[in-house]
Amino acid sequence: MNPDQAPLLRVRDLVVEFSTEVGVARAIDGISFDIYPNETVGLVGESGCGKTVTGLSILGLIPSPPGKIVRGSIELMGKDLTAIPEKELRDIRGGDISMIFQEPMTALNPVFTIGNQMVDVLTQHRNLTRKQAHSVAIEMLDKVGIPAPGQRILEYPHQLSGGMRQRVMIAMALSCGPKLLVADEPTTALDVTTQAQVLEQIRLLQDEFQMAVILVTHDLGVVAETCDRGIVMYCGSIVESAGIEDLFNHPCHPYTEGLLQSIPRLREKPVDRLPIIPGRVPDLFHLPSGCRFADRCSKVTDRCRQEAPVLQQLTGSTAVSCFNPVA
Amino acid sequence: METLQYILRKLLTGIPLLLGVTFISFLLMVYFGPDKTYELLGKSATPEQIEEVRHQLGYDRPFIARYGQYLKELATMDFGHSDSTGEPVSGLLSRTIPISLALITPGFVLGNLIAVLLALVAAYHRSSWVDRFIMGFSVVGMSISFLIAIIGFQILLSSSYGLNMFPVRGWNMSTVGNYLSYVTVPTLATVFVSLGYNTRFYRAVIVEEMTRDHVRTARAFGIPPARIFYKNILKNSMIPIITRVIFSIPLVVISGSLLIESYFGIPGVGKVTFDAITTGDQPVLKAVVGLTAVLFVLAQLLTDILYRAVDPRVTLK
Repeated sequence: MNPDQAPLLRVRDLVVEFSTEVGVARAIDGISFDIYPNETVGLVGESGCGKTVTGLSILGLIPSPPGKIVRGSIELMGKDLTAIPEKELRDIRGGDISMIFQEPMTALNPVFTIGNQMVDVLTQHRNLTRKQAHSVAIEMLDKVGIPAPGQRILEYPHQLSGGMRQRVMIAMALSCGPKLLVADEPTTALDVTTQAQVLEQIRLLQDEFQMAVILVTHDLGVVAETCDRGIVMYCGSIVESAGIEDLFNHPCHPYTEGLLQSIPRLREKPVDRLPIIPGRVPDLFHLPSGCRFADRCSKVTDRCRQEAPVLQQLTGSTAVSCFNPVA
Repeated sequence: METLQYILRKLLTGIPLLLGVTFISFLLMVYFGPDKTYELLGKSATPEQIEEVRHQLGYDRPFIARYGQYLKELATMDFGHSDSTGEPVSGLLSRTIPISLALITPGFVLGNLIAVLLALVAAYHRSSWVDRFIMGFSVVGMSISFLIAIIGFQILLSSSYGLNMFPVRGWNMSTVGNYLSYVTVPTLATVFVSLGYNTRFYRAVIVEEMTRDHVRTARAFGIPPARIFYKNILKNSMIPIITRVIFSIPLVVISGSLLIESYFGIPGVGKVTFDAITTGDQPVLKAVVGLTAVLFVLAQLLTDILYRAVDPRVTLK
């Protein structure tokens, strides 16, 4: 993060709600964060914490109905994406902001060749003929490490392996020179060796294309390896945001601390049981009035149950929303 | 070349299917179907007379021989003469099948086309009032019996109680104007009745395709809705749509027009089949049953080839 620079993306007080038959679920409750050019930010949290919804709302892709951005703004270089018409948003999707998804197996259209799909994206955002777009697509496939791209481009998604498909997604995402890449669990569905290769590929191309990356993941190992900064989400709000060193060496929120302790790893003294965070994530329909982590927290006080803490800047790069941060 | 080989192979595998279907139906016709002996001889026939007629009719020949004869008839398309009218069966069918096709095709095409369009609208606005209205209308259409729809349209359009614009019954294809005046009311009834089922089916198919991951991917890459609709949704919905359309063709051609033809007094193949069943006209029944089986095998072949055309994951192996 370079604080002298203007942020590329500025999210302020974002609230996203889903109306269901049982009631309204607030999936994201007033989150704010900035993304600076060329940095990699990990958006971490367990399933259902709102990290994917955050990623989708940046591109205006919340399924609606039932989902809806109720409040807040998402500014890309000063332009509020929540306030512009769909037509303008379409130019930004795949252009300035790209997104890649978790499921490389199903994320591509099975009845068209990967070339056809890449050319569609290229001609949509760049002033190219289909023929020119075809050669750009081959170049991109080559860049993401696909061997014999000239032949591969004529193949259908089912003819490629999972890792290859994810590379195709990356090639497609980068083909129009985005300033921001939102990667939603890009490696979760891949096996570990492929995972490392794909992450490395993203990192290399990030330098080449000078873009910022939001890496949505539940895998803290991936964050530690690839990110400059981490944002930890719990139950629809940000509990901690810190530079990667601070986040892993001095976690300030009890939840972050709990998450880190529960990673299986080689320890000096073997433990009988892996530490876990007691209790369960509260139901989005019945959120507690105070801090949402209160019921599971070891440092809970009366104040935590009555009043919800807000994200506050602490020492160094860390901001935390906790009344009794871990020292 | 690959396609040609595939067609040949499929046709070969269609043969056992054809044999099975014709064998079972022939078995039923022979052992449970009508026996013409008594019809020809009346009640007070002597055993010798019975023996004689049964021999003439070929009833005394072994079952397998009679079945072989039937297969030969099917292969040569020569089913002999109708028992009730004496007309050659092939002539009867070539006269009546075109009438049925002319009668049923507009309703079949419109019934599917309008249903796909309504399903698209409903799927696009799903769970809004537009969707609820269309689906409610479908349930109403499904709940009304074909007979009521026919009589309703007859009263509305062909009687002095209603608009009185079209003939009540009969058939005439001599000019386009005549054809249109006779085909309109049956077509409206067919469309009205098939629309409900078709719309519900197609809506389910399209909604499923709309929620696929690759549709979300296309949106995330700024592809405009019209292109997403064509390339991601419609193209991927083609397999179930093709299956439904093609497999209803044999039924529509042979028996689907039965109710309409009898209510509107139209001399099509449905009427011929119905009469053959009620009078026990075996030569006609054998022809109709055999041809239906052939049509099904061909329809299956056609769907398989079309699958290949719309979905690259399907191989002609």
